[in-house]
Amino acid sequence: MSGMKAAMKIKRIHGIVMLAVAGVVTVVVALDFLAMRQPLPIFPGPGVTEVRPLSAYFPAIRGSRGDTEVYFLQGQDPGGTVLVLGGVHPNEASGHVAAVILVEKAAVQAGRLIVIPRANGSGFTHSDPQEATPQEFGIPTPSGVRRFRYGSRSTSPMDQWPDPDIYLHYPSGQTLSGNQTRNLNRAFPGRPDGNFTEQVAYAITEIVRREKVDLLIDLHEASPEYPVINAIVAHERAMPLAVETVLGLELRDIKIGLEPSPQNLHGLTHREIGDHTQALAVLMETANPAQGRLRGKTSEELILTGKDRMYINAYGAKRLYVDFDEKGHPLAGRVCRHLAGIDEFLKAFSAATPGRAVVLRSLPQPENIRDQGIGAFLN
Amino acid sequence: MVIVYQLIVLFILGITIWTALDEEDRYLQATAALVAIPLALRLLMIK
Repeated sequence: MSGMKAAMKIKRIHGIVMLAVAGVVTVVVALDFLAMRQPLPIFPGPGVTEVRPLSAYFPAIRGSRGDTEVYFLQGQDPGGTVLVLGGVHPNEASGHVAAVILVEKAAVQAGRLIVIPRANGSGFTHSDPQEATPQEFGIPTPSGVRRFRYGSRSTSPMDQWPDPDIYLHYPSGQTLSGNQTRNLNRAFPGRPDGNFTEQVAYAITEIVRREKVDLLIDLHEASPEYPVINAIVAHERAMPLAVETVLGLELRDIKIGLEPSPQNLHGLTHREIGDHTQALAVLMETANPAQGRLRGKTSEELILTGKDRMYINAYGAKRLYVDFDEKGHPLAGRVCRHLAGIDEFLKAFSAATPGRAVVLRSLPQPENIRDQGIGAFLN
Repeated sequence: MVIVYQLIVLFILGITIWTALDEEDRYLQATAALVAIPLALRLLMIK
């Protein structure tokens, strides 16, 4: 009898020790996950004249993880307004980094530039399950390594849950897979009484309406096996402007495709902002192998260098929509494409509508970023 | 809806901890302790 009691006691002690170890592991990983909820700093440059929270346009999201910084770069001369979105999908690094460079290094002479580098603030607070992506990546700068968050494509389920079986887009009634309900770029134009993601989309749409935005440029990335890659997607009203931009980029030796915004695919910025507001709406895509299904090891190095042996093999098998060799698709080159695209869009827009011109006083030469690295162009 | 989810997770976490303490097989005790980690993170709405 006493032997049985002793065995039970030992069993309990084993269980308590194992649970204590599990408790320690829980605390360590919890602190790691909670750290992602702290936004990494952005250092506005002298070109930034005002910073407002997104909630200034829709107070219901104030204090939530959907609230994010909106940077205003006002020029001395009158002109129009251009809105640049980065981080609509927080796992598409080049759009986020390009928007940060605008905030830190750009200045405007005429008109106004509005930049939202973390459009889906909630998506930056977590990473995609089972994708093994790093939570951050580091860019070497003269003053040390600058960290950037590598988030998820979707709003965190901590902020919006559960996903329905079928996502019904408002107002089109389009049906999509249930997990798309947390995809900000399927939620536009949004609605004030909608779910969390729809409310964030509504707040951004309100900026477009209230600030009389003339042109919206949404910065994205996609996997190399995705057909719409190294391309501009333009709403039909923005197509003439996009054509001018493509020509300008080709003259800079940057090859880029042009796709019309599908009229029957709803929720995306280039479709809904173009349909529901006065703004011209375009989206730009670069090639990010860290997002692809064919990738090998997923690491900071892959995000930064864009080099992946598996993708070289896939290119050899003619499975990709972009060239892919041992040089890869480095982040610096992807950021260069976005900034050069913005530069050309502003030039084309200003030439077409001189009364609403948006002219930059300073912007790092995108080709220099590609050749010298991103770090030299961050504060 | 979230509170219902949390109550379900709390219930499963309770069973898991009970298993970790009461199970005779040490392998199963260790398995239960490992399973408790994601359940605790979900209960606390951390991940």
